[in-house]
This record gives sequence, structure tokens and C-alpha cells, in this order.
Amino acid sequence: MQRPDWAPETIDIERPSVARMYDYYLGGSHNFAADRAAARAMVAAVPEAPLMAQANRAFLRRAVQFLTGAGVRQFLDIGSGIPTVGNVHEIARRTAPESRVVYVDVDPVAVAHSREILAGDDRAAVVQEDLRRPERILAHPDVRGLLDFDEPIAVMAVAVLHFIADDDRPAEILGVLRDALVPGSHLVLSQASDEGRSENERTEAQNVYRHTDNPLWVRSRPELTAFFDGFTLVEPGVVWVPQWRPESPESAEDAERSVFLGGVGRLGG
Amino acid sequence: MAESAPLRASSRPGTFARAWAKAVSGTSYLPMPQAQLEALLQRLADQLAAALRTEPFDVRPGHRVGTELVANHIASVEGLGRTVEVLQLRMIRDLGLVGDDVEDRMARLLAAVATGYARALRDRTLDEQESIRRAAMMARTQAERALRDSEARFRRQATHDPLTDLPNRVLFTERLTAALNEPGRGGQRIGLCFIDLDRFKVVNDSLGHQVGDRLLITVAERLRRALDGHLVARLGGDEFVILVERTGGTDDVVAVADAALAAVREPATVDGHELVVTASIGIAERQVAGTTPSDLMRAADSTLHWAKAAGGARWEVFDAERNRRELARYALSAAIPPALERGEFYLDYQPLTSLRDGSLLGVEALVRWRHPELGVLRPGSFIGLAEETGLIVPLGAWVLGEACRQAERWSAQGGRTPFVSVNLAVRQVHRPGLVQEVHDLLERTGLPPERLQLEITESTMMSTTEEPVRALRGLADLGVRIAIDDFGTGYSNLAYLRDLPVTELKVAGEFVAGLRAPAADPGSRTDERILASLVSLAHALDLTVTAEGVETAGQAQRLRAIGCDAGQGWHFGRPAPAERILERVG
Repeated sequence: MQRPDWAPETIDIERPSVARMYDYYLGGSHNFAADRAAARAMVAAVPEAPLMAQANRAFLRRAVQFLTGAGVRQFLDIGSGIPTVGNVHEIARRTAPESRVVYVDVDPVAVAHSREILAGDDRAAVVQEDLRRPERILAHPDVRGLLDFDEPIAVMAVAVLHFIADDDRPAEILGVLRDALVPGSHLVLSQASDEGRSENERTEAQNVYRHTDNPLWVRSRPELTAFFDGFTLVEPGVVWVPQWRPESPESAEDAERSVFLGGVGRLGG
Repeated sequence: MAESAPLRASSRPGTFARAWAKAVSGTSYLPMPQAQLEALLQRLADQLAAALRTEPFDVRPGHRVGTELVANHIASVEGLGRTVEVLQLRMIRDLGLVGDDVEDRMARLLAAVATGYARALRDRTLDEQESIRRAAMMARTQAERALRDSEARFRRQATHDPLTDLPNRVLFTERLTAALNEPGRGGQRIGLCFIDLDRFKVVNDSLGHQVGDRLLITVAERLRRALDGHLVARLGGDEFVILVERTGGTDDVVAVADAALAAVREPATVDGHELVVTASIGIAERQVAGTTPSDLMRAADSTLHWAKAAGGARWEVFDAERNRRELARYALSAAIPPALERGEFYLDYQPLTSLRDGSLLGVEALVRWRHPELGVLRPGSFIGLAEETGLIVPLGAWVLGEACRQAERWSAQGGRTPFVSVNLAVRQVHRPGLVQEVHDLLERTGLPPERLQLEITESTMMSTTEEPVRALRGLADLGVRIAIDDFGTGYSNLAYLRDLPVTELKVAGEFVAGLRAPAADPGSRTDERILASLVSLAHALDLTVTAEGVETAGQAQRLRAIGCDAGQGWHFGRPAPAERILERVG
């Protein structure tokens, strides 16, 4: 899947992009016909897909609010996608205006779009890089320039791990990121799960994503929990995303239909 | 936007606002907590309520509410549907609105909300589409730039030498081809300098490749600086080439070559080593019309080898005649193996005659080549070539074998049968297994060993290895006679006459030539004394002496007087087929 360094990338908007499909689920129009066709196929297979995406986005919002409350002022959002409604930097700055955010995405269009949105913002940046190459992310001059690795950083991989194959060793990737962080840093993860899903639903969903550059790798609750190795999970642990510190009891109803599991871990003392 | 007079003093969300919030939840992603959403909708509900009551009735607040909903990300077609539904069903009732025309006003206000909402949603959609298109275009532009950059990088890598950063053979050939093919340049002249560092291998071998590489970088940099304006390329190893365009004649290229030699010759300090290197340069210069890149490159390359062969640290200019001769030599050497296969070689023999009684002691085998196009060739025109190329080994083996086979047949005729003398080349003596080969050959042919004489030159012995000495001892042990050919012209090292199992000295013809002059001639007398000394030296060592190049009876007479044992030359018989020589036997 990974493009070697010497092969220049091509921009093919006839090919669905998971970032733009996600935007479509969220009700955005930052997408092209191919993205919408693929997203509609996904909705046909899993009708809750838009709700899942929204629930996941709401989880991101609550997680960032929690993190600013915990004193975190630096965010590394990997797999940030189309920076549409409810950006990390917008949420964080509502309560902590000095927050610094680096977005990372592999999708060149998403990156170009982010760059436009962030133009003139000297406390936010976007880097085109692949989560599968964490060393390159950590070494990137924009990452190093904006984030102070001697201070706590929240590393966020929200709704992206299900695009990382087991062969790409996601646990090792997260380990590399973890080893670059100081105590007080946090890890925010969420990813699609197959828990409670029928074989049909799983197959159909995977078929949709097979036509994108990013096939889907669903994982179980124990698997996602294991990704927090080295971190201490904050309450309530790894749960369906609507159940993670909900704002009202009713917003956590039918949580298991959300498909996404998520959690937040804290590093060290 | 100025807020209309609130219906309630409190902004706490009422039943209606909560119902509205519930209705639009999940229609699109709302980046705010539920409480904040309810507060927002309460405010908008207040505005709508105020609009319904205000005189005169104005629908514009409806537009504004629709617009504001979209601005707050309640921005989906479902969001509009649910909003219309909840306003229509619940607003009048929940807020307890009364009035004659309240239904009428509600319908118009609702239309305004829907219109404002739809317009805002449409604008938002178009804006987002525009922005994602723009992002795609930017990404594409960037990808194309990256592609161009990587192509340029790739092109540079493909056309430049990574060590010195000079253009490489690919780029050089391209430029040369362009220079030769460009229309309208046929009348111009063009030149090449092929440069090769002298003994560069010694630097690499003694100081290491790193020093060698740095020296190449230094030389490359100097050439580039000294020959600014000309294309300097590295062809590989320590080979460089300079393209000189629009020359006025050979002199222009010679000037470039001189500059290049001077640039290379300057001492270079590499890793603390003071290195002085020289170069050899082959120059080819000619009119553009009628030449090709490969012609020109080949010409400069072979000329470079002339400069090398002449000792290096110099240039040579291409000479078509010399080149033609060398090509002919090359063609001739290439023709030796097939000629051996086709049996184009044959042997003539020249008598070695006793000066004491005129009897035939032996014959020297001399190889001839019956070339299909060039006629019969004497050894002088191809043995040197065969020695250079190593083809002397198979050719020499054939000569030795053929001579032994023929000589064995002579013995069948009875009488005092002459021995056969065969020349051995340096390379043959240096080959391991020579003794075994000769042994097998004698066994196979049945020729008695004492009837075979092997002639070696002094240069055969000028070796630092033990191999030749061991080979000669082995041959002598077989019982084979060993003669030193052309004695007196080389180093004439007397030590090996003492140490080696030599049986005969063949004295070079040039001493014998002196004996043609009258005996009173001082030069002639000197030669005679040298010969006399050689003979007495040889006899003291128990060696026989054969004089080569004996052409007259006078020479024969004087040699006989000196005590020389045998003679060879026209006086005793020219080289001829074996049968003709053997008629004289018996």
C-alpha cells in the first residue's frame, strides 16, 4: 500500500478518499462524486455510518476538552483528514487559546486543504506523512518546530487505526510515538470494531473500503486496549465512543450501534 | 444581529427549544455540547416568536434564523426538514402564541426560515466544493512539481558521475552526438581529448581507494577549472574526456591537452599525501562532416593508448595511417586461432651445419602462415602479435608438436639423423606443465629426447620467479637439448650459464655480420675477438656454439678458425621443406 519515496504521488479524485468520505458522513461537502458514491455504498451496507462518524467526532471533541482540562496544551493529531467542523485547534482554543496543534495526514488533498485553513496560524501546522512511519513524523521539522517534546503532548489517532494493517505493526508504531513523549502526555485512540456486528455487515463494509486506498481493519476491545500499552487508561477505559464521558445520559443510548471504540490513556505519573 | 425582545426573560431552554434540539441532533455533526445547542435554539426560537408578534409583520428574521442555523453547522437537508416539522407542529402551541393571523404569519415565517436555510446551505455547499477543488488542484500542482523535481533529480543522477559531479558518459555522448548532428555544422571542426591518469592503480593499491577517489575529485575539479568552456566528462575509472567544439585545427586541441596535462601535473595533497600524477592524452580532431561519435571516440581512445605506450605524461595526435596498421595487426592476430584450426600454418627448416666436417647436425623449425589473402607470411609478421596476445601458447604448442612428429619420421631413414630445434616463447616457458607436455609429446611421437633442442631467449630467464629455471631443469632431465638463442644481444648474464643445464649458445647474427668485412677492418676484428671469447667461454663451460646469419664462405672460414662448432645461414642453406633438407642427409 505504501508509496515508496522515489515514486511521486498522483492525485486521482476519481478514487475515493477515506478522508473525504468521512467528511461526507459528517454532512460536509468537501468531497467529490467518487467519494460520495463510495460513502453511499457504505451507508447502504451500514446505515448508521453517518451517526458513527458523528459520534466519533463528538468523542474527539470531548477528549480534547478533557485534555485541555488536564492541562495539555500540545496536540499531534495523526490522521486528521479534512479539517472541517470541529477541528482540534478550534476545540482546544475555546478553553486554552495558547494550544498548539500539528495535524498529520497521508492524503495530499486533505493536507492541501488543511494548509489553506491554517494559513497564517503560527500555532498550528499540517504535515503530510503516514502514521506507518512514526519516526518520520517525529523528526519532521514542522512537528519539532511547533511541539516541545519536553512538555506533555496529546497524540491522537482518532478513526485512523482501522486503516493500519496488522502487518504494519500498529502496536510498534504507537510504541515509537509513546517513547518520544514525557509523563503527563496522553494518547487518544478510536477505531472501528466488529464487536456485535454480523458477518454480512462486516463483509459489506470491508468491500466498500477495499476500493479506496485504505482497506478496513476492524479490531476487538481487547486489541484496542492493548494499544494503550505503557499508558494508564483514564475512566471509563476503552468503551463505545458515545459512552466516553458523555455530556448527558441519553447521548450514550444505543452506544454499541456506533461501531467505534475509543479511549484516552495517560503516560506516567 | 440585534436580538428581538425575548418572549421570556430567562434564556434557559424551554420545552420547545429542547424538542427542536432533539429533532436536529444527528442530522449532521454539531461541534457543540447539547446544552450549548439548546441555548442556541432557544435564542433563535425567541427571535422567531418576536417576529410573529411584531407589527408590522416582517419575514426577514425568518431568513436570518435559517442562515444562522446553517452557520452553526445545523446544515443538512435533514436538519431543514426536521426544523420545518418542529416549528410547524410545536412552536405556536409550545410558546402559547395567539392571534387572528398567527397561522398565516407562521406559514410565511416558516417559508422565510426554509428559504434562508436553503440559500445558506447551498452557499455553504458551493463554498466547500470550491475549497476542496482548490485543495485538490494545489495537491496536484504540488505532486506535479514533486514529479518534475524527481525527474530532474533522476536526470541529473543519470547524466552525472556521483563521485566528481562531472557529466558522465551518457551526457557526454549526448552532447557529442548533438554537436556532430546539428544542422549547418558540417563544415566546422571538432576535437576530443581522451585523458587517462598514469599509474593511477598504484595510488589505489598503495594508499587505498579513498585516497584514490579524493585524488579523482581533485583532478576533476582542476580539469573543470582549467578547461572552463569545454565539456569535461568522466568516462569511468581514471578516464576523462574533453569535448572541444569549433576548433580551428589540431593545434587548438593540442593547446587544450597541454592545459589538461598541466592541471593534472600540479602536486595534490590528499589526506596528507603529496601526490604527483601525470596523464596521457589521446587527441582526435577532424571535420564534423563525415565523422560519427563512435568514430571520434574510438580514434581518441586508441591514440590514448599510443601515448600510454610511449611512456605517458604526454599527448599523441591521432594518425590514420598508424591506426590502419594497428587495425590490420589486430585483424591478423584475430585470424590466428581459426588459421590454426584450418591448418594454415606449416614448418620450414633451416640447416645447422657442422663447421668441422660440413655434416648436417640439426635443423631449426621455422613457422610459416599460408594466409588465404595475404599469401605466405614469415614469423616476423605474426609471432610478435601472437606473443602480445598470448596466442603464442597454442601456436607454439602446435609448432613443437608438428616438429617432433616430422623429426621422428626422419629417423626412420637411418644414418646420422639431425636433431630438430624449436623456439620456445617466454610465455610457454612460464606456463606450468610445460615439462609434462614435452614429456608426453616425446612419448607420443617416439622422438628420442636428444633429438629435440629447445631454443629460449635470454629474456626468458629475466624473471623474478623460479618457474622458468625449474622448467629448464625439468626439460634437461628429460634429455632434451637447450640452447640460448641470440646470445650476446641481451643481458648475457653469465650466472645462468653456470647454473642452468644449457647445452648450446646460438650467437646472434650481428657479430657474425662483422666477419664479412676484411679481416684488417677494426670493427671486424673486434667482432672476431668477441666471437672468439664467446667460443672459448662456451667451450670452457662445455657448451657448443652455433653462429647465426652465416652468409658467405669467408665468414664460415673465419668461424671455423675461431673454433666455432656450427653455423646457420644462407651459406649453409635457406629454410625449406623438410624433404628438401633431408636429401642432403646420409
